[in-house]
Amino acid sequence: MIGVVLRRVASAMPVLLIVSLITFSLMRLIPGDPAAAIAGLAATPQMIAQIRADLGLDEPFLVQMASWYGNLLQGSLGRSILLGKPVVDATFERLPVTLGLSAYAMVLTLLIGLLSGIIAALRQNTMIDQIAMAFAMIGISLPSFFLGLLMIILFAVHLGWLPSGGYVPFWSDPWGWFRAMTMPAVSLAMLQAGLLARITRSTMLEVLRQDYIRTARAKGLPPRRVIFRHALANALIPITTVIGIIISLMISGSVVTEALFSLPGIGQLLTQAVLGRDYPMVQGGLLLVTALLVMVNILVDVAYALLDPRVRYE
Amino acid sequence: MSEIALAAVAEPADDLAEDVPEKRVHPAVATFKRLFHHRLFITGLVLFGVIAIAAALAPWITTANPNRLAMRSKFLPPGEDWIFGTDSFGRSLWARTLYGAQLSMMIGGSVVLINAIFGTLVGAVAGYFRAADNALMRVNDALMAFPAILLAIAVTAVLGPSTMNVIIALGIVYVPRTARIVRASVIVLREMEYVQAAVAAGAGHWRILRRHILPNAMAPMIVQLSFLFAYAVLSEATLSFLGVGAVPPTPTWGGMMAEGRDFMRDAPWIIAIPGVALMITVMGLNMLGDGLRDVLDPRLRIQQ
Amino acid sequence: MQRFLGVAFAAATLAAGSAAAATFTCPRTGGDLVFGQEANINSLDQMTSNTISTRNIAMNMFESLMTRDENNNAIPELAESYEESADKLTYTFKLRQGVKFHNGKEMTSADVLASFDRYGRVGLFRSMFDQVEGWSAPDANTFVIRMKAPQPTFIELLSSFSVPVVIIPAELKDDPPQQLRTIGTGAFQLVEFVPGSHVRMRRYDGYKPNTRFEQRTGFGGYKVACLDTVTFRVVTEASARVAGLETGELQAVEDIPTKAAAAMRNNRNITLLPLENWWIQIALPNTAIAPTNDLNFRKAVQAALGMEDIMDAATDGNFRLNVGFQYPHQASFSDAGKETYNINDPAVAKRYLAQSSYKGEPVILLTNRDYPPMYNSALVMQQQLQAVGIKAELRVVDWPTSVQMSQKVNSTEFNFFFTGWGTQPALGALPTMQFFVAPGAQYRPRDDKDDPDVLALFREMNTLATEAERNQAFARMQKLVLERAYAFPFGALTKIQASRANVKGFVPFRIPRMANVWLEN
Repeated sequence: MIGVVLRRVASAMPVLLIVSLITFSLMRLIPGDPAAAIAGLAATPQMIAQIRADLGLDEPFLVQMASWYGNLLQGSLGRSILLGKPVVDATFERLPVTLGLSAYAMVLTLLIGLLSGIIAALRQNTMIDQIAMAFAMIGISLPSFFLGLLMIILFAVHLGWLPSGGYVPFWSDPWGWFRAMTMPAVSLAMLQAGLLARITRSTMLEVLRQDYIRTARAKGLPPRRVIFRHALANALIPITTVIGIIISLMISGSVVTEALFSLPGIGQLLTQAVLGRDYPMVQGGLLLVTALLVMVNILVDVAYALLDPRVRYE
Repeated sequence: MSEIALAAVAEPADDLAEDVPEKRVHPAVATFKRLFHHRLFITGLVLFGVIAIAAALAPWITTANPNRLAMRSKFLPPGEDWIFGTDSFGRSLWARTLYGAQLSMMIGGSVVLINAIFGTLVGAVAGYFRAADNALMRVNDALMAFPAILLAIAVTAVLGPSTMNVIIALGIVYVPRTARIVRASVIVLREMEYVQAAVAAGAGHWRILRRHILPNAMAPMIVQLSFLFAYAVLSEATLSFLGVGAVPPTPTWGGMMAEGRDFMRDAPWIIAIPGVALMITVMGLNMLGDGLRDVLDPRLRIQQ
Repeated sequence: MQRFLGVAFAAATLAAGSAAAATFTCPRTGGDLVFGQEANINSLDQMTSNTISTRNIAMNMFESLMTRDENNNAIPELAESYEESADKLTYTFKLRQGVKFHNGKEMTSADVLASFDRYGRVGLFRSMFDQVEGWSAPDANTFVIRMKAPQPTFIELLSSFSVPVVIIPAELKDDPPQQLRTIGTGAFQLVEFVPGSHVRMRRYDGYKPNTRFEQRTGFGGYKVACLDTVTFRVVTEASARVAGLETGELQAVEDIPTKAAAAMRNNRNITLLPLENWWIQIALPNTAIAPTNDLNFRKAVQAALGMEDIMDAATDGNFRLNVGFQYPHQASFSDAGKETYNINDPAVAKRYLAQSSYKGEPVILLTNRDYPPMYNSALVMQQQLQAVGIKAELRVVDWPTSVQMSQKVNSTEFNFFFTGWGTQPALGALPTMQFFVAPGAQYRPRDDKDDPDVLALFREMNTLATEAERNQAFARMQKLVLERAYAFPFGALTKIQASRANVKGFVPFRIPRMANVWLEN
């Protein structure tokens, strides 16, 4: 088991290296620089030149690259130019927002996706099935930002039930957090819940057709027991991998959701950094986020192996 | 994006199981027949078809110039004179929505084409030639490790905003994902007996790929590409919404929605109209994909 | 001849200032105010950031030796008074007594010295010290600046609020750029700063108001914090700001779309506060390349422009037509060159175009979408140019890219650059006209060699002895710049702020000033 994990970690290293190389080159190829972002409106060229010199942006590409990787080897990701603080701090400061949002959205996804998928499968070809699948279809077809805008118009602008944006830390005000995060989480969860419902339904249908379920039914076991003990347990195994994919989708989806709802999460941090040409922030932040995603995938694999004994002996 | 793979997950489709196997007709004809009996596929085709036709015929459907400013007739709600109303610059939303459809179709189609070519190429090479596999897949993994939207934002920032560059950016985002799917089928097919037989008979690698492997990898490819079309349209809209898409004032649905944001309280139609158009398109494509998957996916054919 | 200016300025301010005779006292103390801010805040380092979002907040917590009053005149703030020596080579500032930093320490000349040291090292406008020989602190209450040569405009520069020399405790002087710890002398002190989310500040109980004044004026004057806390929350969506204000979630907001403002006009719970003259909407030609290097072509463009439509689109209806580079209430305002403004005559434009060397090649309008007014004005200008037969094309990039492209010498990538001049026109004619002088003259002359006639007038603006003479030089320079079509100022943009009706004393200025603002029951 530990061997598998170690091997996965080792194979992730070249990926992270390539990620950092791509990011570094992309960022230096983008026209414009952080000086323009710092200088604000109507800045004079002298002012911009001065800021550029202050920031060490006049050095050649290779020198900057060498010093960045040199620092990386010493465990430093540098400082964000715009925020003036270490990249690691800036990233970890924002992480709770995105993780909280993802966790909330994940709960919604699992609740809606699994339930409607299971019910649809059990009531295959009934009205309930069709309604559930129609909703799943809408879920995977509705752009999250459109859903977000519609919710803002309805619940924030017209009804005034929920705040239209902004973040409240969970620890300082749990109810406030819940109110602030509900619309973002719903808009983020919609697509994933639709996907999960469809997959759960098809996996369940497949499992229900297996011989051992038929046997269990033939033995006269109560249907509920058949469903929960046998069918669901087996259907959950492939669903675990899907959840891994969904987590990485959420990080990507949070870019749009956070922008729409003014949430200070990782997605906003990195978008602002790209648009403000905050080189160290983009490079370091993306590396951290990628490493995090790789870790999540490894964890999912481990969970998969734990759930399905066959995998362990591969 | 792995969501393409997820969207395409095969269901044990009942429509199919109930089909009577048609033995005497040509397989292609049989496939078409099955497709046209598939309710979801037909619904999807109609939804998507309406948008596609509207896009193609835009210059004939409306004579209005989608970029013509008329500051004196701004914020007009949908009504008799203006079917879809006007935006904050007094431009006709009817014309902008139609031309926006054109752009969505163009970008979606181009991204699909790029993926069909490069995704297949990279996937086939990686799946078939073990020597190339490792290196190609590492780069692939790295590109897939980026949050997709951020990668697209960075690429369009490098290349500068233009319709072409949006296509390139979405190509860079999606080709690795398509390649991965193609590679998976190629790896399976490579081990098939008939392929091994061709290898034993001394056939060249390219010939084997072309004659024996790729045609059999086509069916899942087509299914993937129909879902990819949907995601490309959605991603383009997202990029335009974030302000990094095609150059304004080019009408794009995402761009129209972004411009309507400031007025969504008092002129919600500016957002709602392109939003609904976008949803119809994506839903049509997803249904189309579902239908194609039910009918074409080889796993189901094997089961039969 | 020694002049004792502090008192004179204070008196002038009072005369021009408010009707209230007595010193300001809070009608009600207490309460929390949440302000919906449009732009994200990256840093509160007021010495190294020139962004509006930073100034909005930091200027409620930091103060400087000199600042500007409501009418943009220089006034002492942390200085009690100042003296200019007869030879104009020495400025001696007497500091106010008993001013305390937020860390409880009393401000002395050592802190002022350290603040100037840091600014001289990392401050964005440190070029204002080009003529400064050095500074010293002869005693705890005195700070002296020595000049290499007389500079009549030095106090004007020093009192500028765009990137002011804010006074910080001496121990902060080595804080790196963008990382200044937020400890000032202002009426409010920092509670927390969560980038991307909000900044919260609270009343600083140790604050000592400037008793030389009786009311708040501009960035200075007699300031009192009536509110317990103020939170600046980043709310980027305009509709969300409006909704927040209507529900009472936000007590005040900036930048309300006109359409929403019209709908709110009848809401008794809300006060609309138009902030006039927020910036001058402007396009600048690139005179290094064809066809914009041709005066006849530029005059054709000038004649083609209809400012009502451009400003209407740019500002969504909130604007004032405005000639030139200053606002009417300013001492230096002049309408010289008004015959070049808002001609809106396609026939004249076509005539100039026929005389020009223009051959129908594409003309690139470089703009961005980060600032919608710039994008919107480019969109209308494109249409107006097309109407007279100019093949105008938009090039829309993001803000940093457009700045970089516009500043390249002899760039061939654009013909017109769209921007907004906000702080500089508000600060006066001198910082504004600096834009027309090399290095980096904004009409991008070939090889960055500026027009000698323009330069000569700018020298006069700097060196003539009296203010009246300098203002006349400005008027001449404005006229020349407009006649040679080195700039196309469209008009003045109004930014609509709004507050709940129970928010009192909130008067829009360059930033949302939170001192002397109170909440009524």
